[in-house]
Amino acid sequence: MLKKLHEKNGIQLGIGLVIGIIFGFLLQKGGVTKYDVIIGQLLLTDFTVVKIMLTAMTTGMIGVHLLRSLGIAQLHPKPGSLGSAVTGGLIFGVGFGVLGYCPGTVAGAVGQGSLDALFGGVVGILIGAGLFSEFYPKLEKRILSRGDFGELTWPQLFRVNPWVIITPVSFGIIALLVWIETSGL
Amino acid sequence: MLFTCEGEEVCPMDFLKKTQWSPYVAGALMGMVSWFSVLTAGKYLGVSTTFVRTSGMIEKIFAPERVATMPYFIKERPIIDWQWMEVLGILIGAFIAAKLSGDFKRSFIPPMWKGRFGLSRFKRWIVAFFGGVILMFGARMADG
Repeated sequence: MLKKLHEKNGIQLGIGLVIGIIFGFLLQKGGVTKYDVIIGQLLLTDFTVVKIMLTAMTTGMIGVHLLRSLGIAQLHPKPGSLGSAVTGGLIFGVGFGVLGYCPGTVAGAVGQGSLDALFGGVVGILIGAGLFSEFYPKLEKRILSRGDFGELTWPQLFRVNPWVIITPVSFGIIALLVWIETSGL
Repeated sequence: MLFTCEGEEVCPMDFLKKTQWSPYVAGALMGMVSWFSVLTAGKYLGVSTTFVRTSGMIEKIFAPERVATMPYFIKERPIIDWQWMEVLGILIGAFIAAKLSGDFKRSFIPPMWKGRFGLSRFKRWIVAFFGGVILMFGARMADG
């Protein structure tokens, strides 16, 4: 039944819009569409971003793995490599700190009226995407394919049942959040 | 009932009108959104590919033949798909959230930037622009 729903392209566009509206609503209410909140996190003076991300990750992880265990959802791990994740991650971080929004929150920031996110951010992001598409074939050959590890997940790496990872990771994150909260951050 | 709460003890509208929610409530609800996204669309919440598709759409206006042969636009075709609509939705959802709380305002420079770097809009936008270029180049290198 769900498989059939996934193949209906027109309905999928509508579902995408609804999911996005709820997600954007939550991003704004959480405060993470704001430059000051994001930069505050990078300066370690405001821990809103970490709190939201860790809570969302844990909730998402447990639910999605339950759905997977029930056989009604699949994981889609992206193939990765050291060359792509390490270099890309470092470059992304520099841009993130300079812009003060990520690609998701920049859309939300435009929605709440932040014009620096629109004229500065979105325009720069589109040019960055265009620039990357020019260099893609060369980068792919020289950097992105280095240290390829394919579609590897943590449970596969350790050859264990996914719940053996999910359970301690969830408790670890909860402990970290309790610590952040009690230390007044 | 959702829009007027006279005499009601718990008013859902008051909650929707709040400027900022607890990060744990917002975060947990975002995690739940990801469940529904996986169930109804088989998709995980993502954003950056949409900017690649959009940049392809814009380039296509000027050089359609070239875009059609570029390997990256063959991999990520310049079309409107599920994620494109999701990103549009994020913008609309944030707009609704900000409007409900009165948090919506046309702002040219973020307050923290103003305090540190002053009132020049041009300065903020040019820095944001280059930040965006670098951020997206890195994001695409890491395929995220």
